[in-house]
Amino acid sequence: MTLQECYAAMGADYNGVLGRLRSERLVQKFVLKFLDDGSFDLLCSSFASGSWEEAFRASHTIKGMCQNLSFTALANSSEELTEALRGGTPAPQAGELLEQVRKDYQQTVDAIRAFQASL
Amino acid sequence: MSKEKILIVDDSEMNRSILDDMLGEDYDIIEAEDGLEAVNVLRKQASDLSLVLLDIVMPRMDGFGVLEAMNQNGWIDAVPVVMVSSENAPAQVERAYELGVTDFIMRPFDALIVRRRVVNTLLLYAKQKRLISMVEQQVYENEKRSDLMIDVLSHIVEFRNGESGMHILHVRILTDLLLGYLTHKTDRYKLSMRDISMISTASALHDIGKIAIDEKILNKPGRLTKEEFEIMKTHSTVGAKMLENLPVHQGEQLLKIAYEICRWHHERWDGRGYPDGLKEDEIPISAQVVALADVYDALTSERVYKPPFTHEQAVGMIARGECGAFNPLLLECLTENAEKLRTALETDSVEEVKRRKLRGISEETLRGEGRSASERTLQLLDRERMRNNFFTTMAETIQFEYTVSPPMLTVSSWGAKRLGLDEIIMNPNQDSKLRGVMGESTWERLSKRLRSTSPERPEVRMDCPLHYGGTVRWHRIITRALWSDDPKPKFDGALGTVVDIHDAHLKMQELEQKAARDQLTGLLNRASAREQIELRMHDQPNANYALAIFDLDYFKLANDTFGHQFGDQVLQWVAKSLCRSVRGTDISCRAGGDEFMLFLEYNTDIEKTIDRVFRNLCGKYENFQIAVTMGVALGEDVGLSYETLFHAADAALYAAKRAGRGRYRFYDDSLQTLLDSVPHAEQEETATIH
Repeated sequence: MTLQECYAAMGADYNGVLGRLRSERLVQKFVLKFLDDGSFDLLCSSFASGSWEEAFRASHTIKGMCQNLSFTALANSSEELTEALRGGTPAPQAGELLEQVRKDYQQTVDAIRAFQASL
Repeated sequence: MSKEKILIVDDSEMNRSILDDMLGEDYDIIEAEDGLEAVNVLRKQASDLSLVLLDIVMPRMDGFGVLEAMNQNGWIDAVPVVMVSSENAPAQVERAYELGVTDFIMRPFDALIVRRRVVNTLLLYAKQKRLISMVEQQVYENEKRSDLMIDVLSHIVEFRNGESGMHILHVRILTDLLLGYLTHKTDRYKLSMRDISMISTASALHDIGKIAIDEKILNKPGRLTKEEFEIMKTHSTVGAKMLENLPVHQGEQLLKIAYEICRWHHERWDGRGYPDGLKEDEIPISAQVVALADVYDALTSERVYKPPFTHEQAVGMIARGECGAFNPLLLECLTENAEKLRTALETDSVEEVKRRKLRGISEETLRGEGRSASERTLQLLDRERMRNNFFTTMAETIQFEYTVSPPMLTVSSWGAKRLGLDEIIMNPNQDSKLRGVMGESTWERLSKRLRSTSPERPEVRMDCPLHYGGTVRWHRIITRALWSDDPKPKFDGALGTVVDIHDAHLKMQELEQKAARDQLTGLLNRASAREQIELRMHDQPNANYALAIFDLDYFKLANDTFGHQFGDQVLQWVAKSLCRSVRGTDISCRAGGDEFMLFLEYNTDIEKTIDRVFRNLCGKYENFQIAVTMGVALGEDVGLSYETLFHAADAALYAAKRAGRGRYRFYDDSLQTLLDSVPHAEQEETATIH
């Protein structure tokens, strides 16, 4: 699996990220690094325990990383979630949005793992 | 030359890492994972940092918090901040600009944009920074001559006419830009970014030799005569000499560059300039560039002897060689970037003026309009020195620094580890860990005492118990308040050290205890018993208390029959029995002679307790039958005052004696009349002393 195929599999914008980071090596490095980031776990646990500010920050962090890596799908859903969590009290649709983020995150991570396995 | 340092503040490790990869080759990167860490880095090395890249949303302290701290500490004047964020709500952006950020980089990052923005911001600030570091250097080297350079410059301004301020500024901007274009064109001159900013900084000194030129010639409207022109020409060598004769800074790169510029900024490429007739690259590149910038600005500015030329006219005149020959490469830089130069000069000068207003740093000083920058720098350095001195003389202790705004307590890492505190404590008044260590009121007391010091006598010493690691140890806090240099000094914070004095304190306590105790029996003496009783009642006014007074029956007989030594032994025996029959929390005392006092707290049946104590006190010491008579008063009957309790118990004792010794009696209302008629033991004692 090439990095480009990996991006396609997760609904992400390969040309976009390459245009910005300007080096396939860098893109690959950070894509793989994404697996080590704990923000998603933090998001889930803080969401479950009702620590909304922490959940907001975690979601915000995911959004920022995804924007940087042009993980379009996850960037979009986490952005929506971030906005739903902004201000300390979750909007009614936050739970639904979290599920979407979970789905997109899973898809993203699956694609990266598949790519990693083919290296 | 060392790389410039950039502080990256972002809670996402990946985002930091991306920025690091984009910038790490050209800069030294320091990372902080939240606002608090960032503030700590700034506190330690704000003056070494060239730039801060700052995220907004972070745990513990967010980007705005960092900006506020930077404002409060004046760091924002010295270190430019570029916000890196995906937050783009106008209110947030505006607030960030209000707090002094220079630029925004939006996510997602584009490597080119990030690099370019960083370079731009650094260039913008490089000049200021160099000047500041120049001043700092001076301070370190020679306090008295601290801002000599700046003094020299402001003298020029005094000696010259009104054109000077803008001229110096324009020459600097042009020099900076031209050098930038030049490095794109050729690497012949091997110019680093630092070289470029040093040359631009030094360019401000190009005309200092004009101090020596008669003002009549300097400001003469119309053409100079040949003689006058010859005099005018001496300003380049005079300026160079001035720098050569500076008593300080010799051997410094900046001074070397300034010398080149002063001496040779009127040399020309074809060797027809003055004073030395150097040609082509015999002329240092610094002087070549400043010469071009000088000519360009002279042409486009109004002078006493001529109106301003337009930008196009000026470039045309220079290109045609009307102002002498210049390095063809530099001419290319000028003509190719003519438009950019013009707009840069216009916008930059507006920017500069704005920035000067906002930040009041180097430019201001340069123009002699104010000396806030150097004074502030001096003050900071002074404080730095004070801090170092203070701390190095206090090795191996817990050290701390407190600032009022932001309210922050920084504890030395050794100290923080020992006390189990965080190294950085925001809002120390509300920090539960700190309260746990210091106790509820110690922090407030300390803070109050510090605030009531004066700049002349800023030191405070305070002994207090600190709770950590499961124990309590006494410490001495030695601290000095920091007062601002304002006419009306402001309390800025404090520096301090904490010394463990536990062992010494224990010795003191032991001595105190000795003084508080009766030598013979080891029981408390009356004065200290009273103190403790009153303290107990004050601390826990809701408990039930009883006070008992007793003396030995026929003690005088024991003394008379068996001698005083025997009498003492009897007293010791009684004291021991007393100690055995009461709890550690009860207060027992030898009130004097053969009179003893017992103060106890009870929950249930006090009569039973008293009865037990009473029985334990009766017995036989050798052949002497010991019996006591005891009077008891209860707080619930007479009220919680030592005096009242004592008199009531005394009255009960008196009544018991009258009823025939060897018994105990509780005070009740029937004894009311006795209260007034019984000669009080207290008074008796006083009477015997007098």
